Amino acid sequence: MGFIILTARILVAISMLVLTLYAVRHYWFAFTRLRMRRPKDTMELVGFVMPTVTVLVPMHNEEKVAADILQALVENDYDQSKLHIIPINDRSDDGTAKIIDEFAARHSIIKPFHRTGGQGGKPAALVEVTRGIQSDILLMFDADYVPGKGMLKMLVAPFADPEIGAVMGRVVPYNVGDSLLSGLLSLERAAGYQSAQQSRYNLGFTAQFGGTVGGVRRTALEAVGGWNPQSLTEDTDLTFAMLLNGWRTAYLNRAECYEEVPQTWSVRRRQLMRWVMGHTACLHDYWPDIVNAKFLTVREKVECFFLLGMYWTAPWLVIGWIASLVLFFTIEAHYVPILAIAMTLLGYQLFSNQSNFVEIGSALLLDGNKRRVLLMPLNLLNFFANIGATCHALLQFYSTRLFGGNGASWYKTHRTRAAGSGSGGSFGLNSPKEKEVED
Amino acid sequence: MAFLIFSILFIGLLYAHFSVAHMAWSRTRGKNSQELDMDYVRLEDYFGQSFRRKLGKWLTAPSAENSTGELRVVDHGVEKLYVASEAVQYPSNRRERNVLVTEKDFDCGADCSFEKELMVHGNGVVGAGSKMQAIAADGTLRLNQNVVVRRWVDAKGPLELMDGCKVFSRVCSASSIYLGPKTEVLSVYAPEVFTESRVATMAGPLVNPRDVVLIPHAANMGNRVFHGYNPNLLFSMGGGSYLYNGDLNLTAPLHIRSPLVVKGNIKALGASMIEADLKATGSIEIGEMSLIKGNLIAEKNMEIGAGSFFQSVLHAGGEMRLKHGVRGLGDVPVVAFAGGTLIVESNVVVRGKLASGEKVTAVSAPLAWLKNSGDQ
Repeated sequence: MGFIILTARILVAISMLVLTLYAVRHYWFAFTRLRMRRPKDTMELVGFVMPTVTVLVPMHNEEKVAADILQALVENDYDQSKLHIIPINDRSDDGTAKIIDEFAARHSIIKPFHRTGGQGGKPAALVEVTRGIQSDILLMFDADYVPGKGMLKMLVAPFADPEIGAVMGRVVPYNVGDSLLSGLLSLERAAGYQSAQQSRYNLGFTAQFGGTVGGVRRTALEAVGGWNPQSLTEDTDLTFAMLLNGWRTAYLNRAECYEEVPQTWSVRRRQLMRWVMGHTACLHDYWPDIVNAKFLTVREKVECFFLLGMYWTAPWLVIGWIASLVLFFTIEAHYVPILAIAMTLLGYQLFSNQSNFVEIGSALLLDGNKRRVLLMPLNLLNFFANIGATCHALLQFYSTRLFGGNGASWYKTHRTRAAGSGSGGSFGLNSPKEKEVED
Repeated sequence: MAFLIFSILFIGLLYAHFSVAHMAWSRTRGKNSQELDMDYVRLEDYFGQSFRRKLGKWLTAPSAENSTGELRVVDHGVEKLYVASEAVQYPSNRRERNVLVTEKDFDCGADCSFEKELMVHGNGVVGAGSKMQAIAADGTLRLNQNVVVRRWVDAKGPLELMDGCKVFSRVCSASSIYLGPKTEVLSVYAPEVFTESRVATMAGPLVNPRDVVLIPHAANMGNRVFHGYNPNLLFSMGGGSYLYNGDLNLTAPLHIRSPLVVKGNIKALGASMIEADLKATGSIEIGEMSLIKGNLIAEKNMEIGAGSFFQSVLHAGGEMRLKHGVRGLGDVPVVAFAGGTLIVESNVVVRGKLASGEKVTAVSAPLAWLKNSGDQ
């Protein structure tokens, strides 16, 4: 019995320590963002930095959205003599190829890339297509995104800095009112970008490349060996591969682009599980290199571990709960209420995708979305859903790692937009919404 | 009984906690985000363009009854628009509370006050010490000494900001902008921006001197420290870029041919030649008569030596100083941006933009420079 109590006490202590450290980190980000006099950006350089650019748009069965993004891209204000657009038709069996070819026939800057075989998934498609590209900068958009007219100029401006290997813009959920989940995810996105990414960047840490609404310097990509087709999160993988070679990722809060966030819990669960497994794989792949990195300060190394280990907060919270429960049924019960309450509060502070109340509140305040702050209590649903998905993903990840197996594979997040609004600028604003269908 | 009260209180609190959120969700449901302006493109002369567009719409409204042949009055909400068909001259100390549009030239005496925007379709001259909201001119525009503009200034012709003028937002011209000593603006953009004592022809930068620090260094140099450059601190980042892990305090000019990131400060003597992008996580100080072809980025302060040429982007997180005779001349417009104050000395010419997170201020050249400079 003594051993069980001791073990439970140690686990509760570790759990509280981990959660407290993460809570402090996120309060730090939130208050940094609120106190920020001048967010670090390169908006004053927009239009003065005009390298050659190739825009990559991976598409797998994207007939609903393909026309919107292609139309938006051909309407952008970048110098067309320095621009190529490559829609990557990745083994689509719907009308995607036809839409792409029609656009290519009308616009010479569109150079389609049709993939009919090979390994599935976005990273594999990117590996294949980037081999022959000679442009200075590669920009990437997911097919359901619609960049505004000035987006490309904004995204290339940070590359004036030779240390910048990648740049990340901001994604803004469009379908906030389509379901409670999409509304709650809009809070999470606001906190993640407006608060956490901007604060990390201003504090001198590298931003995290997100694989879309962003870009990479071709020479930097080649320097780190290109995309990792084995990774479930090729963006996180690239962020750290670059960082360890001295390249940094810039964050540009003003380069905003609409995205569709998942509307159903099952889609969200799969998306989050992919992120968790990919992210945790990066932690295991890169931790020795981070420890030994010559160009990173101790502060930067610590932050790298916080970033890569962030999904571990969920299992530690569950472990803490279980240990508290064990203590509750022992003679140590008098300690338990305080511990359990403290842990619940700390855990609740870190709900959803690693954002706390203050971060969400401050981000919404800065975005001028004060009314949406009132949705926050309902984020309790997201909190429990995320804990479940994260723990499940980590269990799957480690069981695969220990006992072998196929693990997770790359999958496409489902689109809900109606097909063929045909105008990037409209973003299907007048289009009816289709019911989301699982395949 | 106590349990009952506790239960009611608990349920009440729980309800209050979620009911507000539920109401908020009810208001959001079915409505999609309208946060982003998909048509947004950054334009340097946005304010002037936007004002001209809006004014065009406002002027389509019918004239008010008190209009005359030479002065048309248009009611626009709580304010009025006065449209003068002839040239307008205001005496000193005149106060104008309405939007003024002149179809021809405009001239005002000292210490006038304009509480709304001013549109001049001809040439404009604003008297010393006047205070304005914003001004757009289709011809030339001259703001005399110590004029204060709370918002922006836009001219299609040459624009002169005389000594001590302050503009709290952007200043643009489709032709040229002169920044007099002690002027302060947030940013200036024109095909040509110049400061006092401009010299038409400048000697080109001195390049290729015999004793330079070349980075990356030649293979036969070995690992010996040379004029403050330690080859052991240079690492390849791949892709032809290099990282120098420490301060680069050189006692010789610097010559770089590949992109370089310096984890520290950079100090290089005059006649340096920067042929590729250069970044310092600290400050950068480049000596006089240097040639900067690549982008120059400093996370802290930056100082560009007298008589130097730059051809692309200068970006400093802190303060920046462009010393006497600096030229920003590229095949395409160039830009110098400082997160802090951007100080521009005399005889500086930039084809493009000078911008700051705080202020761009023009200062007179130190006397020593004027005496020593052979081309004065």
